[in-house]
Amino acid sequence: MLNLWMRTSALISLIVVVLMLGFLLQQSWPYWQHDGLSPLLSGDWYPYEHLFGLAAAIIGSFWAALIALAIAIPTGLAAAVMSTEILSGPWRSLMRSGMELLAGIPSVVYGLLGLWILLPFLQSNLHLLTGHNLLAAGLLLSIMVLPTIMVMTQDALCEVSIHQRDTAASLGMGWSTRLWRVLLPQAWPGIRSGILLALGRALGETMAVMLVVGSMDRIPDPWYNLLAPAQTLTSRIGREIGESAFGSMHFSALMACGLLLALITITISMLAHIRTDKVKT
Amino acid sequence: MMTERCAKTLITMLALPALLLPAACLLYILFKGIPALDWAMLSGSSQASAFGSITALWPQITGSLLLMLGACLLAAPVALGGTLFYALIANVTQRKALLGIMHLLVGIPPVVYGLCGLIVLVHMLHWGISLLTGMVILAVIILPMLLMNSVNAIERIPGGKTEAARALGLSNGQLIRRVWLPAAWPGLMTGLLLGMARALSETAPILFTATVFSGVAWPDSLFSPVTSLQTHIFYLAQEGANAGAVDIAWASAVILIILVTVLSFGASALRNIRMDG
Repeated sequence: MLNLWMRTSALISLIVVVLMLGFLLQQSWPYWQHDGLSPLLSGDWYPYEHLFGLAAAIIGSFWAALIALAIAIPTGLAAAVMSTEILSGPWRSLMRSGMELLAGIPSVVYGLLGLWILLPFLQSNLHLLTGHNLLAAGLLLSIMVLPTIMVMTQDALCEVSIHQRDTAASLGMGWSTRLWRVLLPQAWPGIRSGILLALGRALGETMAVMLVVGSMDRIPDPWYNLLAPAQTLTSRIGREIGESAFGSMHFSALMACGLLLALITITISMLAHIRTDKVKT
Repeated sequence: MMTERCAKTLITMLALPALLLPAACLLYILFKGIPALDWAMLSGSSQASAFGSITALWPQITGSLLLMLGACLLAAPVALGGTLFYALIANVTQRKALLGIMHLLVGIPPVVYGLCGLIVLVHMLHWGISLLTGMVILAVIILPMLLMNSVNAIERIPGGKTEAARALGLSNGQLIRRVWLPAAWPGLMTGLLLGMARALSETAPILFTATVFSGVAWPDSLFSPVTSLQTHIFYLAQEGANAGAVDIAWASAVILIILVTVLSFGASALRNIRMDG
């Protein structure tokens, strides 16, 4: 009885993974069959004309995630270094609590903050018609992934052994040399998985992005134009899933977005964990 | 000495957003939300059904809590069973496989769980947009974190205790009931509370599978849709033309954050018990 329960529970998790990927593939199959892989390169998404190009959303997703990481990595690393190497006891735990607080705010609340603070701010300062754009999504995401990077880095820095710190100090290394030559390289595997996890989170975040990104299917033109309304994979799913009929090509195309998203994020999280596991053994 | 000071200053400057943002975000949400909450409470008595008054937010609160409780009731037994499988039966390969699957599940974005729920539960099993669908989806989402948390909790029990129990001839069942549960319960509860907080804050997966905007005070059955705080915030946030609606979104955000914070405070309190014991 006990054994049966334990084995079933373990099996359930395996079944869930297989079922999820299986059903996503099955539902998106008509879409892949219809167009092959060509829609990956096309930016035209007009459901009423049966044009379902994914390029705009894919590029949008990656741009938003890149902006988020570009801001969150330096800030998160600096915050982690500051809390482990500069601050002492109570301040350190205060910073940690601050990060836990940021991590605990639900994503839809970030969306609310973005929609009513960030967008008006961007709109008036950059003289835009609308604040809805990839930059806003990236900025919002950077706050959301900051705790991941900071906490993982902090843990990795704390794990650098006291011997290595002492040795570095006894060799007469200055504070900054020690940081760059000993602490950060030693902690790098942990930092790297933190960054990868943050990337996965940024790509998969839905509510906040959906509220601020504008949901217009355009490939940024020119490619670095981040100030126009755009679309990400997640925002497209969130916006359009309600109005697509089950079994239609539109539904199938949205499932293809979901499958793509799942495959990308699974790859990223596997990379994050394989690398750290290797280091541990 | 000079470079050290420069480096430290530079790092502090870079870290400044991380120091200020948590407080700024929280204060701004409270600043926007608490007046709305207050107003809602005041007007709640005179116009009981006023759009967004505190009495009108009760369905959303109960909806969120129902979804959360259902998800935990479904996920906890599976997580515990999986943990015991990991600790008692599994060999090294199976352990690696189980953890690998959990990492994989954690990596998949919640909205994808929502899509799968939509295909399988809503359309194929004909459960429709319903409370039960939302519970199952949220249960699957929190399963990996529950399981990994409880594996950690069990692994932290000193090996000597288990060995002593085995030497006394305890069976698996007795070992779990008499040794592991008393030693690991704070860790297990910590995981459960964090899972509850997570279930409360997930929005995307239940948006199109479990919730409607309004009109449900108390779901008639597991197969009727509910309203929830999370999705309420989402719908009202976009009502830019109606300032009152956005105020209620802020008020809902405050209530949601209070609920989540209570759960995570509970979790950290339990974590401290474990450290002392």
